Amino acid sequence: MPDSALSPPATGVIHDLGYRGYDGPRLGRAQIVKALTWHSFRSSFGIGRGVKGKIIPALAFVAMCLPAFVNAFAVARGNPRLFGYDVYVPSLRVAVVTIFLAAQAPELVSRDLRNHVLPLYFCRPLRHGDYPLAKYLALTAALLLLIEIPLLILYLGTIASVKSGGAVWDQTKALIPGLGVGLMWAVLMAAIGLVLASLTGRRAYSTGIVAISCVLTFILSLLLIQSEGGTTATSTGARIAGLFSPFTIMDGVRIWLGGNPQVGLVANPGRYGPLYGLAAVVLLAACLGGLAARYRKVSQS
Amino acid sequence: MPSSDPPAVIRTRELTKVYPGRVTALDGLTVDFKPGVTGLVGANGAGKSTLIKILLGLIRPTQGQAKVLGLPTGEKVRSLLGYMPEHDCLPADVTATEFVTHLGRISGLPATVSKERAAESLRHVGLHEERYRLIGTYSTGMKQRVKLAQALVGAPRLLLLDEPTNGLDPAGRTAMLELIARIGAEFGISIVVASHLLGEIERICDHLVAIDGGRLLRADTITSFTQVSQVLAVEVEEGLDRLQAELAARGLAVTTQARTLLVPLGGDDTYDVVRDCVAALSLPLCRLEQRRHQVEELFRDEQEGAAHA
Repeated sequence: MPDSALSPPATGVIHDLGYRGYDGPRLGRAQIVKALTWHSFRSSFGIGRGVKGKIIPALAFVAMCLPAFVNAFAVARGNPRLFGYDVYVPSLRVAVVTIFLAAQAPELVSRDLRNHVLPLYFCRPLRHGDYPLAKYLALTAALLLLIEIPLLILYLGTIASVKSGGAVWDQTKALIPGLGVGLMWAVLMAAIGLVLASLTGRRAYSTGIVAISCVLTFILSLLLIQSEGGTTATSTGARIAGLFSPFTIMDGVRIWLGGNPQVGLVANPGRYGPLYGLAAVVLLAACLGGLAARYRKVSQS
Repeated sequence: MPSSDPPAVIRTRELTKVYPGRVTALDGLTVDFKPGVTGLVGANGAGKSTLIKILLGLIRPTQGQAKVLGLPTGEKVRSLLGYMPEHDCLPADVTATEFVTHLGRISGLPATVSKERAAESLRHVGLHEERYRLIGTYSTGMKQRVKLAQALVGAPRLLLLDEPTNGLDPAGRTAMLELIARIGAEFGISIVVASHLLGEIERICDHLVAIDGGRLLRADTITSFTQVSQVLAVEVEEGLDRLQAELAARGLAVTTQARTLLVPLGGDDTYDVVRDCVAALSLPLCRLEQRRHQVEELFRDEQEGAAHA
């Protein structure tokens, strides 16, 4: 290699550690959003934070996966698979998703509001919608893992014990709608959690807002369903009683789309099924619209 | 425009911003910012922050246009800018290295470049081993340095610094101003420093843009702001009132400012008149000099004008 081409000119000072600019390639907007999404996804599990930040995500994961492990062992010893892929353990799933959301949605959005970090994002080559988009994608992915991994554990544990190829195919056919339901949960609950958490930068308040909203609406729907005769009732009142909480709305959508009405949280919606579908779509649109509007305002202040 | 003039880094034309509720923050502002360090001065509420937000493309002007580095405002321009906000904007529970590296990514730097530049930026602002500590443990001065480092990390061509000495003690202010002056001189980055503290800003700026009530008061080089004026400053150790009466009796329109008499300079004979008056009253004269303009006068005259109106 010719030395002269690389060595600095004679006048240059070798020890000069002065400022250097950067003329190399820069990421486009989409790649910046991807970087922010990845960063947020990691922090939704407490990665990159202290030990304290990892406790709740870890406990949520363990609690969610425990029934799947136990059942998978039981299946291996000849017992039947107890939990459906589409509902899993309904009350546990509601509880764990609520806790995870109440703890981690504020982690993603309230911290930045609290610390007034947002001007540092919006003065960079992002648009005002990119920040909430990245946070939404990150939380959706985190919830998806939390909900789907137990299903995959259950599935793998089950197919390890079955004898025939036909049985494997039966399990796979049952798993796919279950994964679909999990996706619906992740997509809707992430939107609800973020829009509520972004209302305030006070971490404790936003946790409270998310938890109370999820729990109260769920209890309201359960009470209404009970007072209308429970999940086996067929009255109009019972059929629409699940429309008052996101969890029961999603379960109504599941049954409407062909899920087993014998298990789950709500009475069979019957001909009111499309109403549940509409409620889910409207709720999602309202939350995402609210999130976008919130950050349009924040970016200008 | 003659070709010898360097192109303006910021150019606004008839820039107007009226907020809802008919609050006019900018009122037809037309001004060019030259390369180098420029002070953007004005009282609180003069429109400095609104101008910065428009330059960052965060809010749209009601009327008029702004160009930054020859480009219309927006995300393309933002990738060439570094911005240091006025208020606290740092999380307490991450290290400076992590935080600045993350923001480097958001500025569009590839991961390894971002890491390198974060370390360099923090070193340039004078944070060495401390950069591995949580920001929550930092002093105000160190936090201001982190804010400056995050503005530098994206390799900007123009820095917008909003009240960079906010909350610092005198020593901290001096250190921050020296740092800014060094960045402007050695790093080849143009800088706009918004401040309401003229005294400190004029120490480091090449140019000054003064705004008030959303309008341009004056934009010029710092030297032209401080040219000699046609005013004599006279100080005596005692008998200020008697001297003032005597000078007035001889037909000079004398004004006082604190313990100084200001005498309009008509010509060389004004010196003689002052000398004669002081001698006649046998007062101890301690200062007699032709005054330099002070940047503050710009605002003082404006305020007096407003008060009389």
